[in-house]
Amino acid sequence: MIMLSVHNLFQNKIRLSISIGGVALALSLILSLNAIFAGVEEKITAYINNSGADIFIAQSGVENMHMASSSLPAIVEDEVKTISGVEFVTAINYVPNMVVVGDERNLAYIIGLPPDSKLGGPWKIFKGASQPKAGEAIIDRYVAEKSGVGIGDEVEIFGRQFVVAGLSEETASLVNSFAFISRSDFSTVRGGANTINFLLVKARPEENPERLAETIEAQLGNVTARTTAAFSMLEKKVVKDMSTDVINLMNLIGFLIGLAVMALTVYTATLSRRSEYGVLKALGARNSYLYTTVIAQALISVVIGVAVGTIFTWLVSKIILGLGLNLTMNITAISLAKVGSLALLIGCFSAVLPIRQISKLDPATVFRGR
Amino acid sequence: MGFSTLQATHITKQYGFGPTEVTAIQDLSIKVDPGEVVLIMGPSGSGKTTLLSMLGGLLKPSTGEIRLNGDVISVLAENRLPDIRLRKFGFIFQDFNLLSALSALENVALVAELSGLNRNIARKKAESLLINMGLEARLTFLPEKLSGGEKQRVAIARALVNDPAIILADEPTANLDSKVGHEIMHLLRAMAKEQNRSVIIVSHDQRIKDIADRVLWLEDGEFKEMVTMVLDPVCGMMIDREKSVNLDWMGKTYYFCASGCRDEFIQNQEKDIH
Repeated sequence: MIMLSVHNLFQNKIRLSISIGGVALALSLILSLNAIFAGVEEKITAYINNSGADIFIAQSGVENMHMASSSLPAIVEDEVKTISGVEFVTAINYVPNMVVVGDERNLAYIIGLPPDSKLGGPWKIFKGASQPKAGEAIIDRYVAEKSGVGIGDEVEIFGRQFVVAGLSEETASLVNSFAFISRSDFSTVRGGANTINFLLVKARPEENPERLAETIEAQLGNVTARTTAAFSMLEKKVVKDMSTDVINLMNLIGFLIGLAVMALTVYTATLSRRSEYGVLKALGARNSYLYTTVIAQALISVVIGVAVGTIFTWLVSKIILGLGLNLTMNITAISLAKVGSLALLIGCFSAVLPIRQISKLDPATVFRGR
Repeated sequence: MGFSTLQATHITKQYGFGPTEVTAIQDLSIKVDPGEVVLIMGPSGSGKTTLLSMLGGLLKPSTGEIRLNGDVISVLAENRLPDIRLRKFGFIFQDFNLLSALSALENVALVAELSGLNRNIARKKAESLLINMGLEARLTFLPEKLSGGEKQRVAIARALVNDPAIILADEPTANLDSKVGHEIMHLLRAMAKEQNRSVIIVSHDQRIKDIADRVLWLEDGEFKEMVTMVLDPVCGMMIDREKSVNLDWMGKTYYFCASGCRDEFIQNQEKDIH
């Protein structure tokens, strides 16, 4: 029956191309969207994952950076340093703002770093300094290119001019970027010299970060301490919570488009061979054989559709990368599994109508081509 | 293949109910023995196709029974009929009805596979049959690349691949030229006489009478004796002599389906004389 399915499928190449193309595009829509959100997740947690810290400490109840505000008294830094198992600590300031160049306004998370900070600074430098001094800023390379500025040029942050001292890489996403200034400047323009937003902790090599986080919480009270991995996961969860409805809606739309295309092509393909299925019935083929032939035809189409859709999405992700856009598409195994499952459903559902057609087919109609 | 006798007893087939009811076959009985070629003729709408469908287990009679080797097949459940059709009957159709996406070899092998044969064995069997039919050079051809005669020979090979005892052929020569039609007729006779299969043919083709052991005339759902059937010399229709319009002309009696044909005949004859 697979032989018959394959022959039936490949005999009409135009119909096959439309069918596979339609399914591939629909699945590619789902895959691309998932890949974009996976890329956003990756970008949004890039700072946390590349901070070099083992533990993030925030104001009690704050468990992520995005869409959250954390405020800690500066003295907490000294208290953390005294806790056994802590190797060193970096206090940072953090607030969403803008990097402005003329009319070009780029949304950015501004990080205030202490001098010679060991943690929380830019992790990959394209050009220039890796530590901002007073009056200096390190901005993302793509933001700089987009705004037409380079090392030594001025940008406006918090309404004040900063000289670009360094250009960082991997610090921009589709909608925002990270910019680094000194903590002293941060305090000057934002006020609150005795306030920090987060503490980044490096544990001693022999220390278990999870246990150390628990110890910090227990000893200091009124703070939230999380390992970097946990903090990153909680950050991703925020993005997920914000995007789940959109993703689900787009998945549903993609699924319905794929189903419509597939159902129509399998239905018309079956209808065009109605008399041949009648002949097979007359010759003695059982309904189960004919059903399996139709289902196999639909499933072969969607399997090819998944492969084409995946390759197409992968190519798009590479083209986007090549164009230097701040959009990362991350095709994950989970996305592939989800698309594979949807494709399987599409294949099965699209065979329902043709199967109904075949079940009603009277083998006696085979005589005289009726 | 076992030798089988197909017997229909007092079968009737009615379509529709109440005022729309139509009787296609009326209290008809027929017995076909192994090795026998039976030709069923009759005008369009006489019930030939309905009869063939019932004999082949494609349609159930409204009343009466059909037996194959003594076993009643007309009462079998729908799910048991595919196996009977697959193994006991071979079907040959007017339009060949080959699967367009499959090659000649695959068309024949598929039916063997349906009966449970392993793919390789099915292909070998199909290949051997097609070679015997003189189609060695056409094994991999799609139906669209075959001539009418070649298509019908593939269809015959397909009908034979499961070694059925009974062959049912519906207008097997209708779409073929006279030479190829003649070849196919003799192939059908050989299948009956050399392999002891029963061959039942439904056709309008008068030439098939030459190879038939028995010719039956079906009209209005009933068999009529062929001896009482005569040919209208104008329209060429076989007609019941008892119900015909007759004419004695130049010492000979002619039979017509209607007075219109008789008048046309007279006009033609007078034209020839003058």
